[in-house]
Amino acid sequence: MKRLFPIILLLYVFVHFSSCEKDDICVEGDTPLLVIGFFDFADTTLEKNATTLRIRELNSEEPIDGNLEPEDKDIKMHFDRSTTDSTGIPIRISESTTAFQFILNSSDGESEDGESTIETGNIDTLSFNYMVRENFISRACGFVANFDDLSADLSFDSENWIQDIKVVDTTIENSTAIHVKIFH
Amino acid sequence: MLRYFISLFLTLMTTMVLAQEALPQKDTISGKYSYGLRLGVDLSRPTLSFFKDNYTGLELVGDFRVTERWWLAVELGNEERKQEETTGAFPLYTYTASGSYLKVGGDYNTYTNWFGMRNQIHIGGRYAFSTFSQTLENFRFFDSNRFFSPNEFVLGSEASQEFSGLNASWLEFVVGMKAEIFKNMYVGISARLGHLVTNTEEDNFKNLWIPGFNKVTENAKWGVGYNYTLSYFLPLYKKVKKDEKAVESGPK
Repeated sequence: MKRLFPIILLLYVFVHFSSCEKDDICVEGDTPLLVIGFFDFADTTLEKNATTLRIRELNSEEPIDGNLEPEDKDIKMHFDRSTTDSTGIPIRISESTTAFQFILNSSDGESEDGESTIETGNIDTLSFNYMVRENFISRACGFVANFDDLSADLSFDSENWIQDIKVVDTTIENSTAIHVKIFH
Repeated sequence: MLRYFISLFLTLMTTMVLAQEALPQKDTISGKYSYGLRLGVDLSRPTLSFFKDNYTGLELVGDFRVTERWWLAVELGNEERKQEETTGAFPLYTYTASGSYLKVGGDYNTYTNWFGMRNQIHIGGRYAFSTFSQTLENFRFFDSNRFFSPNEFVLGSEASQEFSGLNASWLEFVVGMKAEIFKNMYVGISARLGHLVTNTEEDNFKNLWIPGFNKVTENAKWGVGYNYTLSYFLPLYKKVKKDEKAVESGPK
């Protein structure tokens, strides 16, 4: 029986290792954010802050706010009413277009009857069109969405703060570089 | 057990008797070894098939005695396994791996039996090859940003997508034992550690589970497996024990 002991021990070790689930947590990849950079319209190489910027989806009252995301997250989406020269926003995977309202100098004002709050900032509407492509990352992550053929459309109104837009990268595979430049 | 003590005692008696003679004699402990083919089936795979909805499998095993301690060993199997991957409580994707495998190699019996016993504690190696397919049943897009879809991941597709013609090969280290429970009837247990040699994959889906190899772990080429076998030994011919030693006995 003594001779069997090492065999049983070895079997135990095998079973032990086979039940170890090393790759249970997704760290290898993620669905990227659309990264927008703000530049000076006069000198297009110069970064220019967008002040107290609020971004929300068209026909939605809920602003995009990175404060709502977990604290340990590496890349967070746009912080509501922050002043920045580049920021990231999520786009809808279930659709091939997502429209946003970019609100410069966003703040709450009172409506004329004083009963509700209204947005006093300059609202410009931008819509992004793209193709969703699935990209297999790993066992733990499964598939993430990447986006191809990105294009952007600006709706013109009487007082656009956005002067021009340029898609610099039509493929969105990560959130580290600017995909769209906004000139103002 | 008693039987073996008696036989051992008797054989020792014989040498004692022989020691009385003047002529040098050969040790008569040596007997004849049965050579032949042992065929069997793995019991764990049908058992798992019965109790688990997501798995069906069968493995046939065979080994042939080549020398006193070496056996030529083969395993042939077919497995199908469905698996849903999740992150926490959120489903990510479901896939089915299905295919056949063949393992060829050898086992070396390290166990020195008492007279009349035919048990084995063996170590060995295999070269294994599997052809299989993977079917992606459905998937959702992993996205750590929960703004647009706070409660679940966005569904990508529920149409099943087959990745066929996949294959993989690996080297396997085997350790196990076989015990004769009735005459020529053996139960066996073995554990296997595999190391992938080749693995052909599709661009947009990895080989996550290979029949015969089991789970393919991320950034590692190791796989583990086991079997519990029931097999029957078919004696074909007998050979006299090879390492017979001439025993010098008696005064010169």
